[in-house]
Amino acid sequence: MFLASGTFEYGLIYKRVTNKAGAIFTKGITARPRGGNPSPRVYETACGLINSVGLENPGVEIFCKDILPKMRKLKTRIFVNVAGFSVNDFVQIVGEIGTEVDGFELNVSCPNVEGGGVAFGRDPEVCSRVVAEVRKVTKLPVIVKLTANFCDPLVIGRRCVEAGADGISLINTLHAMAFDINKRKVMIKGGLSGPAIKPFALYCVNYLKDLEVPIIGVGGIMSGRDVYEFLLAGASAVEIGSATLRDPYAPLRIIKELESYTG
Amino acid sequence: MVLHRLSIIKKRWFTTSIFGLEFRLPGIRPLPGQFFQVQVDEGVDPFLNRPISIASYVNARLLIVVKVVGRGTRILGMKEPGEFVKMLGPFGRRFRPPKRKSLIVAGGIGIAPLHFMAEHLFRNKISFDVLYGVRRKDEFIFRDELAKMSERSVFVAERGYKKQETVVSKIQKMDLGDYGAAYACGPREMFIALQELNLPMPIYAFCEDFMGCGCGLCLGCAIMYKNEYHRICTDGPVLELGEIVFEV
Repeated sequence: MFLASGTFEYGLIYKRVTNKAGAIFTKGITARPRGGNPSPRVYETACGLINSVGLENPGVEIFCKDILPKMRKLKTRIFVNVAGFSVNDFVQIVGEIGTEVDGFELNVSCPNVEGGGVAFGRDPEVCSRVVAEVRKVTKLPVIVKLTANFCDPLVIGRRCVEAGADGISLINTLHAMAFDINKRKVMIKGGLSGPAIKPFALYCVNYLKDLEVPIIGVGGIMSGRDVYEFLLAGASAVEIGSATLRDPYAPLRIIKELESYTG
Repeated sequence: MVLHRLSIIKKRWFTTSIFGLEFRLPGIRPLPGQFFQVQVDEGVDPFLNRPISIASYVNARLLIVVKVVGRGTRILGMKEPGEFVKMLGPFGRRFRPPKRKSLIVAGGIGIAPLHFMAEHLFRNKISFDVLYGVRRKDEFIFRDELAKMSERSVFVAERGYKKQETVVSKIQKMDLGDYGAAYACGPREMFIALQELNLPMPIYAFCEDFMGCGCGLCLGCAIMYKNEYHRICTDGPVLELGEIVFEV
């Protein structure tokens, strides 16, 4: 059981939880620092929320200098979520981080930024090029986080595996928006997460289960029972995301609950 | 930070839409501006917790005051004494107010965290005045308590019987020479208007936003402050008003 990207920062706030997890997936790291989007960045919807944080992060250089040394003291594995806007970005970020971590999750699916992001993840050609180029600069495990927004994740997943991906994680948040009806304008446009997307995430995992690499299931996991469902769907592991926003200790509870199912 | 499961020991409706819940919670030492992430329901809908500031903390008795503004706060308002409420916290940077004569400026439900501020100032023997405005006369809460703790208190209503006055119109007529600091909480429009007045003392704003986690994990509550985004939950919620940029 891993901590998903974007909902547990860098794992440094609730270390007791981080240290119990199989791995922490960092917030998306970009080549240059990013301030992120203006408020509102989160907006609650039925059984979940829309977020539009916009990949706020200090950039790879400061990440390596200030954050990674602190993360290396954690008693868990570190996967860096790499958010590039070009093939070069991915290669540069992975290259700069080097071997100080346990692996990478290529974020070809962030819906909250203009250019790159999800546009990348929809194109099998570009996706496989990203993976192939990253493969050349690292021997560490490379996981690709796929989108299911307006595309066929199986086609893209297959190409990523051919290009050398060691695993697939899915799904990233789904395109979503909400309106302020009083002002008659868009309240937020971003990515939907939480239990609302769990059935679809399960379907996607099951849809990709025959790929020759491990699948990490992500999407709306709130309980041990939910994890078990993802395992039944074909996932080898899961990431816990939005659940930690409601309760940062949720992963500890989920692990306990899962143990009661699996003995 | 701990997850508390607390039984409601007292409930009170201050107005038709504002209620208070009281809990016993020993062992915390909260400071003004700090808040709890209150779980609305055991189930996943509503999904997120509601950030609710501390309105009072005396003798291990925690009081939160909530205005019903949507579905989550409506569900909270249906809870009765004896029922349990889960909450995480206290969250928020520990802000220690300077020891200077100060002015509390509250608009509407913004009085909730400022009442706790008043308690704090009173306990620490820092003298202060209160300027508190609401829309309608019957919306005042904590009126007697504030009058008792402060040196001078001014209450204004936008739709009063005699005078129609707002916090912003009133503050312009006041002599502010005495104050070393002001603490403000209210609607966004009030903050923007106060900012434009360029008042002589530093104003500490008690900020709010939609929040995801409330504890720094999600970067969901961003505010443009000192030229970069800060998190209201962990860098605030008390921030210097002059350094905030209110975006569209």
